[in-house]
Amino acid sequence: MEGNDGPSGTRITTFSISSTAILRVAAALCLAGYVFVYAGGRAETPIRSDGFSYYVYLPSWFLFHDTTLSAVARDCCGGVFPTYTAIIRWPGTRRWVNAHPIGVAIMQAPMFGVAHALTRWTNLSADGFTMYYQHGAGLSGLLWIVAGLVVLRRIVRRHFSDSVAAATLLTILLGTNLYHHATFDSSYSHPYSFFLFAAFLDLTETWHAQPRRSTSILLGVVAGLIVLTRHTNVMFLLFFPLYGVVSAASFRARLAVIRREARLVAVIGIVATVVVIPQLAIYYQATGSPIISSYGSLGFNFGSPRIVGVLFSVQKGLFFWSPLLLLACAGLFGLARSSHSARAFVLPAVLFLVANTYVIASWWDWQFGASFGHRAFVDALPVFAIGLAAFFEWSGRNPARRHVVTSVVVIAIALNLFQMLQYWNGVLPFSDTTWDQYRGVFLKWR
Amino acid sequence: MALTRRHAILITVFVAAAALLGYLRDPPWLLSTTSGLRPWETDADGTRFRWMGGHASVFVPSSARAVELPVRTTFNAPGDWPITVTVAIDDRMSDRIVLSDGEWRSMRLRLPPPGGRKVRRLDIRLDRTRDDNYGAAIGELRIR
Repeated sequence: MEGNDGPSGTRITTFSISSTAILRVAAALCLAGYVFVYAGGRAETPIRSDGFSYYVYLPSWFLFHDTTLSAVARDCCGGVFPTYTAIIRWPGTRRWVNAHPIGVAIMQAPMFGVAHALTRWTNLSADGFTMYYQHGAGLSGLLWIVAGLVVLRRIVRRHFSDSVAAATLLTILLGTNLYHHATFDSSYSHPYSFFLFAAFLDLTETWHAQPRRSTSILLGVVAGLIVLTRHTNVMFLLFFPLYGVVSAASFRARLAVIRREARLVAVIGIVATVVVIPQLAIYYQATGSPIISSYGSLGFNFGSPRIVGVLFSVQKGLFFWSPLLLLACAGLFGLARSSHSARAFVLPAVLFLVANTYVIASWWDWQFGASFGHRAFVDALPVFAIGLAAFFEWSGRNPARRHVVTSVVVIAIALNLFQMLQYWNGVLPFSDTTWDQYRGVFLKWR
Repeated sequence: MALTRRHAILITVFVAAAALLGYLRDPPWLLSTTSGLRPWETDADGTRFRWMGGHASVFVPSSARAVELPVRTTFNAPGDWPITVTVAIDDRMSDRIVLSDGEWRSMRLRLPPPGGRKVRRLDIRLDRTRDDNYGAAIGELRIR
């Protein structure tokens, strides 16, 4: 990093590589990591664990022309889905109910189409699970993360210099578990939510700058997909009404804008509802009710949330495994006390992060099973990125501070990548890591 | 009309895509490709086999005239039903067998005359599986 003058004349942190070049580097690194994981046999096939149940709709709909999942169950598994798939027979109807909704499958559909055409061309078995389908699903997650970074760059560039945007993108990708989800676990829902959150922030900002019908339709589509990808992420939609609210007066002004543009707000709501309807129809077909708890008896313990566990524990603590996100929180705090244009994001960001943490900490399996770091927070990384950019801008104003922050970031990224490789190689446990286990393998390859 | 850099890139991409598709029509690695099969294991009597779930596929050279496919399942639980194994060659039904005990059975598959490809695909399907998607054990193929 080097110093230069920012848009406001202040001396800020700079990166000698532009943010567009960082995007190209990010795409290349993700692709190289993906090849490293699968060519080296570090992971099983991409469609595995939760990735199976997110994806299984595609072969069911397009290859077996069946919305009940029964035909694909017969073909893949002799009629009964294995326990790990979290696809259960609904008591009463005995029909299959998938714990995971259809959003990921919808966003995987383009790559599924390519994979299916190649499968026919090479004469592989067109059952939805042979090689091209596997890597179509795997690469789909990777591509949506790169697309999310592209959108995130656009948001960050609106408020910060190019060098701050470059440093932010690189840090979010390599200093958190985002890179892991672009490569090792790319078939899970988190790459898709990462893109959708970035897109929703971008469209929200565009809409509030100039409300248009086209932006409203896109907002509706993205809002619907956010709910279809992970139902609890419906909380993220509060960014739309709360964007730009920094005081009681600005809140009243925001309400006035929403009232004035009621027709366009209705367009957003109608489009989002239309996008969500197929999921309700699937639930209705399987259970006789359009709204259900698809996890069956598994659910939330709202009375005893594991807040400290999800934030700081060695098992899966967000800040234990991605400590650089503490800088993002400091950046959001700094923005709240400033008159910076990115301050418009702070109130909804804080409310969402608090509510999201509470919901994640209340889930019966607060570690969210196997993952490097806490995977439930990957969705929210675009929000953290805004805080991180603010922190980088602040730190760049003072050369001594800039050098300290640069050193800390570089060390934290190196540690993160090393620990990610430990996880890939089975040195770090998939979940339930203890302090003794962590200390025992700290900075060790084996 | 001069060839611009953009034209050159487009032509290169088109030629590369065509070459890749040509290669993928009948790639040499297909013969060693399988799907739906777990890693190799060895029986007490030294027989090598792999477990399959509901559906597995393997490839054989199109020059082969016949294939012998050893297959068996388990009957560990009292209520275990027989399992029907169906084999299709290049999506055409070829043979069917019912496994009603735990012994190895051999399916003898006669291959149709070779078509335009160097390999043929055998799809093995089961009508049911045991716990955790363990269906049938597939032994080493004998190709003639």
